[in-house]
Amino acid sequence: MNFYGYTGKILNVDLTKDKIYIEDEKVEDLKQFIGGMGMNCKLGAELLKPNTNPLSPENVIVLGVGPLVGTITPGASRTVGLSKFPVTGAIANSCGSMSFGFNLKQAGYDHVIISGKSEKPVYLLILDDYIELANASKLWGQDIVETTNNLWKRYERCGVISIGQAGENLVFGALTLIDKTATFGRGGLGAIMGSKNLKAIVAKGTKGISIANPKEFKQLYKKQIERVRNYPQRDSWIELGMLRSLPINLMLIAKGQKKKAKQASEKYYLKELKKRRIACPSCPMADKDILEIKEGEFNGLINYTSSIINPLMMLTLDSLENANQAVKIFDIIGRYGLDSLTITSLFEFLGNMYDKGTLTKEDIGFEWKQDYNTLRHLIEIIANREGRFGNILADGWKKIAELNDTIANEMLTIKGLDVVFEPRFLRLGTMEFEQVVNPKGAHVASGGSPTYVGAGGTLEKFRNHFERMGIPNLAIDRVFTPPIKEMGIHVGRLTRYSEDWYTVLTSLGLCARAQINRFWGLELATEFFSAVTGFELSSDDLRKAAERSWNLLKIMNTKEGFSRKNDAFPKEWFKPLKLGVNNLEFKDFFGGTIITIDIANQLLDDYYDERGWSKQNGVPTQEKIKDLGLDKFL
Amino acid sequence: MAKSKKKIMIHEEKCTGCRICQLMCSSIYKQRYSPAEAFIQINDAYEITPKISFLDDCILCGQCAKYCLYGALELKEVEE
Repeated sequence: MNFYGYTGKILNVDLTKDKIYIEDEKVEDLKQFIGGMGMNCKLGAELLKPNTNPLSPENVIVLGVGPLVGTITPGASRTVGLSKFPVTGAIANSCGSMSFGFNLKQAGYDHVIISGKSEKPVYLLILDDYIELANASKLWGQDIVETTNNLWKRYERCGVISIGQAGENLVFGALTLIDKTATFGRGGLGAIMGSKNLKAIVAKGTKGISIANPKEFKQLYKKQIERVRNYPQRDSWIELGMLRSLPINLMLIAKGQKKKAKQASEKYYLKELKKRRIACPSCPMADKDILEIKEGEFNGLINYTSSIINPLMMLTLDSLENANQAVKIFDIIGRYGLDSLTITSLFEFLGNMYDKGTLTKEDIGFEWKQDYNTLRHLIEIIANREGRFGNILADGWKKIAELNDTIANEMLTIKGLDVVFEPRFLRLGTMEFEQVVNPKGAHVASGGSPTYVGAGGTLEKFRNHFERMGIPNLAIDRVFTPPIKEMGIHVGRLTRYSEDWYTVLTSLGLCARAQINRFWGLELATEFFSAVTGFELSSDDLRKAAERSWNLLKIMNTKEGFSRKNDAFPKEWFKPLKLGVNNLEFKDFFGGTIITIDIANQLLDDYYDERGWSKQNGVPTQEKIKDLGLDKFL
Repeated sequence: MAKSKKKIMIHEEKCTGCRICQLMCSSIYKQRYSPAEAFIQINDAYEITPKISFLDDCILCGQCAKYCLYGALELKEVEE
């Protein structure tokens, strides 16, 4: 059969047996489980046995790339990676951008399944039909930037997923970078690759992607690209990148740190840090950065990042004095393959514990100071698993919680992953709430909705966004009926549809960032999908397929023992957050209602209700499983 | 009167490596989305300075420049 958009091929790699083979996909599967994320869930459910040790050869990595990737569809370049993650013990999908997925599709594959463990370090080389497990002994020990540069030099214009020393040393939270830029696999994909002696995955393709209805597709493209071109804010997005999405300088001002706030400003970024704007393949809203430090101790340092927010967020640490130090530290973290979000949270938390006397010099093996050198030392001992304390930190938050009860009670984690979106500062939108219910734990992407920072506006504007996301009319009424009227929207119910919308985008391969997401709606995504693949599915089919994937992911995690008890709001959220002279309380999105434990539980009850899951244990009911045709996965 | 001819001006510093130019070119001349087969080639797309070049088969139709969203390509009429 001829496939369009899809390649119809799955590349299977058994590292233990050094065996590589290719499987054909079935059309009926591709209609039930759409593309990257959807098919990843199906393949993962078939391959992963419950209670597998994430760092054992029995764990698998399933890479998936959606049907729109590899075409010119605006913003379609995402790679999705499913595995069982060591930090949380949960089965989840991670997403990353840049050129790997695009190249994989061009090489002729929708998915790669990696199982087993290689005897010696290898990298997986995919050059169209030529597949090799190549010797990586010379790359082992190199950081991600060195590894990627070497592989780029050898196989020019390829996409590279690489781990650093943290992944090699099985640091639980180690992630990978795609093209030394885009984070991929928060929660431990780097460690999983390290446990398999897999240093990198390289893809380069020259086959091209054919379209089922090329004329219709090109018309859709031209119309869509004109909308993007004419977007009044486009120039500003291209100029500022992700800095436009989160006012880090305001966060620093709230902390009383005006001097540092200036270095997180637009003016400072443009003059002192920005070197070049880069884009993922097919993206009309380029927002990735090449940064350059232009003076001082780190003069000449070049850093690639998928979001300028990540290095600048490190400025919130009292130990860092200026943006150059923040970029330098961020660069070190990225090279090792550590997670900058986790390191930022961890350093702040441990510093507070040390100040309180909850952690002592004897506990940690060195004297803690709020300075650059201590932060750097902390990164080194985690990445290299040095000493007793370095090993504890490298095993992640669950191990750290064992140090003492105060630490266990005060850490801001959900399912073992540190909170990314702090609702006491940002208020409770779907991004904040979704961290509680995501099977993966506190995460950065799946809860996108009109409650993105600074988005939304009036309730009437919300309605437009809800319709765009494909929320059914009756459900929209429920979303506008929160537990307390003044809250305006029901974040619990809305989160269900944010997850479904995210799943549609991720399955097709589309970027979920607000500045791309805003140009897409369920109807339009369906039109693109049909024109590209030739599959005649309706918007309802696509929405149902997304729901099916999310439920299957939940079923997999139910088998791992996860239930409502794991969807727990951090206790600290119900206490004021001290930020400079401010005491910030846990409030709803519009800021008029304080979220009590009772309201939070009501939001959770209603989230499960909207999903058709049991309120008692927070898992899919038999009726829901049957309705979605998932019985065979029980 | 001086004859004019089409020329595609390249501003490499504005290129983001998005490959839209290559995708557009290959879709017109190869009927598939295939940067490797495009008449415009981008090397070192994510290096500090990308390198943009045109193959001999390029007929200067200018579609790559028309769809370049970052100002890296510009179709101009120049006097011969």
